[in-house]
Amino acid sequence: MRRRLETTAWFMAPFAVILAAWAFVLPLFEVNPRLFPQLSQVIEAARETLADGTLIQHVGASLVRVAVGTTLAIVLAVPLGIAMGVSPVISTFISPLLRFFSVLAGIAWIPIATLWFGYGFGAITFIIFNAVFFIVTYNTLLGVSTIPMPVRNAALSLGAGPLVMLTEVLLPGALPNIVTGIRTGLGFAWRGLIAAEMIATNVGLGYMLFVARDFYRTEVIVLGMVVIGVLWLLIDRLVLAPLERATIERWGMVQRA
Amino acid sequence: MKGLTLRHLSKTYFDPYSGTRVDAIHDVSLQVEAGEFVSVVGPSGCGKTTILNMIAGFLPHSGGDILVGGKPVKGPGPDRGVVFQSFALFPWKTVLDNVAFGPKMRGVARAEREKIAREYLAIAGLSEAAGRYPSELSGGMQQRVGVVRALANDPDVLLMDEPFASVDAQTRMTLQEELTRIWAEKRNTVLFITHDVGEAVFLADRVVVLTKGRVLDEIKVGLPRPRKWDDANKDPEFQRLSAQVLEKVRAA
Repeated sequence: MRRRLETTAWFMAPFAVILAAWAFVLPLFEVNPRLFPQLSQVIEAARETLADGTLIQHVGASLVRVAVGTTLAIVLAVPLGIAMGVSPVISTFISPLLRFFSVLAGIAWIPIATLWFGYGFGAITFIIFNAVFFIVTYNTLLGVSTIPMPVRNAALSLGAGPLVMLTEVLLPGALPNIVTGIRTGLGFAWRGLIAAEMIATNVGLGYMLFVARDFYRTEVIVLGMVVIGVLWLLIDRLVLAPLERATIERWGMVQRA
Repeated sequence: MKGLTLRHLSKTYFDPYSGTRVDAIHDVSLQVEAGEFVSVVGPSGCGKTTILNMIAGFLPHSGGDILVGGKPVKGPGPDRGVVFQSFALFPWKTVLDNVAFGPKMRGVARAEREKIAREYLAIAGLSEAAGRYPSELSGGMQQRVGVVRALANDPDVLLMDEPFASVDAQTRMTLQEELTRIWAEKRNTVLFITHDVGEAVFLADRVVVLTKGRVLDEIKVGLPRPRKWDDANKDPEFQRLSAQVLEKVRAA
């Protein structure tokens, strides 16, 4: 517990320095608020947008899109990755497509996604799905291929059938890589989300940033950027890290970070 | 308990690097009687692991027959338990769940299979480790789990592929003594692959010397059981048999 607190303290330290500089040094200079806001202005903007509910609305819209797109992507990518991992035929056929589309995954799909789904939820969720799907598929495939042959043979010689093989050997065996894939994919998704929201919607954090620019409201832009970064850290620390601790770290399959 | 029969077993494969066909195993015939412990010893590259992998069903054989209790084997199956050099435990399962895995595959209910697993863990002195994960155990303890995991499934034949080659020398001797003790209790049919002559003689009723994919010779080991290294090291008969096997292996 004490170690955890210490780690957290060290993690916060550089942010504290930046905040302190922002709060105490920046006011000494006359900075044009149209170029960069004072900390007090950003806090005021936070209070304002929290009070009128717009911040919650933007954050909520963004999080729902990420959650839906990511969940859909994982649900489809993991079975595909495992199928590729066990079947050379499927792997040979899909691999070139995977390479091709993993380059395109992300904001390159925005124009056509808006034509297919219109502006808003559908198009943006599609972008997120894309960002996560290919990388999770690839990592699942990688994960299956890292399961040592003797471990698979052991399961077979103990009488495991195809279904047990899938749920009790391949899936847990590939989990370290699947988690890496989800973490990387979520990172891409989060960035893709902001870009897509600047173009293809009228609600969400990306939209909030983009509209604020039109009114030179740098305090809202910076507030949005801070929220984006903090939300990512929270997702990482509160969702992904505990998941890893309970599974692959406990099993000794990866070193504790 | 069933016996294991190899009749004119052969394995030929195509080597893509040299572009030629390689005869890994030529015409190996071997009978392991029900309840007999047979060691197969030979220099590296003699094909001993290939034979084990074919018996286990991990590798198809090119010619001849592999019979367990008179029935030909097709692919891997629970009638042949395997202990691997790399232990091959499931890192994501506790020790108890690793050992209970075989019975689970046979459809044994949870309470019953955990009881079986605990019994076997007790035999190997691992009762305390039941709730731990393999990564938390030493190599010697992991391989104890590997051995009882295979035994808990009550296989007709136990196949062991250099199981103690990757643990330190002290632990290896302890594991060998434990294996003779457990085997004395269970009397499984065992085929034990090793390149260690002393180990082969210490454990077995019979030692088969393999070379270049052929059986070179067989030597009966009539040493009394249970066997202990302290006794074996002083036993002129053990010395004589070891020297005899070593001579064959070196000639191989």
